[in-house]
Amino acid sequence: MDKKSNFFLRRIHSLLAIIPIGIFLLFHLSLNTTVFFGGRETYEAVINFMKNMPLVLVLELVIIFLPITVHALYGLWIVYVAKNNALNYKYGNNWAFYLQRITALITIVFLVFHVYLQRFSVHEAEAVIDSLTSILHNPAFFILYAIGLLAAVYHFANGLFTFLITWGVTIGDHSQKICRYISLGLFVVLGVWGVGILTVIAGF
Amino acid sequence: MANDDKFINIKVKRQDGPDAAPYWEEFNVPYKPNMNVVSVLMEVRKNPVNVQGKAVNPVVWECNCLEEVCGACTMLINGVPRQSCAALIDKIYEQTGFGKQIVLAPLTKFPVVRDLTINRERMFANLIRVKAWVPVDGSWAIARGPRFADREQRWAYIISRCMTCGCCQEACPNVSNKSKFIGPSHIAQVRLFNTHPIGEMHKEERLDALMYEGGIQECGNAQNCRKVCPKEIPLTNHIAFMNKETNKYAFRRWRYR
Repeated sequence: MDKKSNFFLRRIHSLLAIIPIGIFLLFHLSLNTTVFFGGRETYEAVINFMKNMPLVLVLELVIIFLPITVHALYGLWIVYVAKNNALNYKYGNNWAFYLQRITALITIVFLVFHVYLQRFSVHEAEAVIDSLTSILHNPAFFILYAIGLLAAVYHFANGLFTFLITWGVTIGDHSQKICRYISLGLFVVLGVWGVGILTVIAGF
Repeated sequence: MANDDKFINIKVKRQDGPDAAPYWEEFNVPYKPNMNVVSVLMEVRKNPVNVQGKAVNPVVWECNCLEEVCGACTMLINGVPRQSCAALIDKIYEQTGFGKQIVLAPLTKFPVVRDLTINRERMFANLIRVKAWVPVDGSWAIARGPRFADREQRWAYIISRCMTCGCCQEACPNVSNKSKFIGPSHIAQVRLFNTHPIGEMHKEERLDALMYEGGIQECGNAQNCRKVCPKEIPLTNHIAFMNKETNKYAFRRWRYR
């Protein structure tokens, strides 16, 4: 491998997507599931617990901020390089490839707003929930927020399918097909789950 | 014959030279049964008059074997990359309807030489780069090498049918002038020669080449290559396998460093 090769960078990009970003996404959704049980008070307690975790800043930096930034920046280059042709070659996987790049861009925009509004501009648990409800009470913003969430979830679910190929786990047609179904199922489950969380918070 | 008044209407994307601007030109060719795109273009060459009745230069294209094994006549036929020798007019009409215009264009991922002729040199250079051969030349006679196991032969033979026609490269969204991706076909070739019992003795060299700039890491799993391959090579399976091999090799090389 010569010095110029991006092999290592591409593999790091793929690995970061699941470890830690994908795992963090699942963890994030799991934590927010508390809104289904016990309403606003429990949710507030959970946010407080997370915010008071020891070394929370280090964890946020190492597990969330740096991996997502590296993945997003190099991902922008990957989006730029592709010459999309889904209209000429209307195959399912080609559409998935195209959507993966579209949702990448939507997710970046969504995350910038999400992190700015819910992390950097507010700090108290109560204020975090208020910032959420003020957005979600507006139907137009609710839809935009849901689109951002669905884009992130699609990007993860479809990315899992390509991750398994990139790491040589699914090699044959059958295993790839099964994982394609699992990835689609995961998108539906996570999508319904996430939008459900938003709906409950909008009711606070 | 009753076919005398029937015409095959083709629309060709033409270009007078590598740097000239492309333009479209239509031709009508008298219909005969069992024609293919090559024989239609031969009729145009016999009588190069476009639909406006103007005599023009005959359309330039490449063809050689006429049996879908050389890949030279690959072009976009109604937007699909395929060999024009194997593109039967009657079969196309079965799908589009009789007499429907057939659109011919050069592949878009390669430099156009003239009209439908493209320069595929990049692909050949990349075959050299990944060392897609079995090295047996030497200064003295060597004994017979190990046999290619039948179990391996069965699927490896299918890769050996690759004719470097460029269909997979044309359909791949990650092969573009913005990237240096060597393309799906070449990744499968590495698997073929790394499976060959003698070729295997040099497998690290090919894995190295596959991890250079523009190597296997540029694959984005759009999987169009598999769909358009005229030789039905399961390229996506070979790419996934070579992903595993290059990852293992990269890790091993790093540990021993």
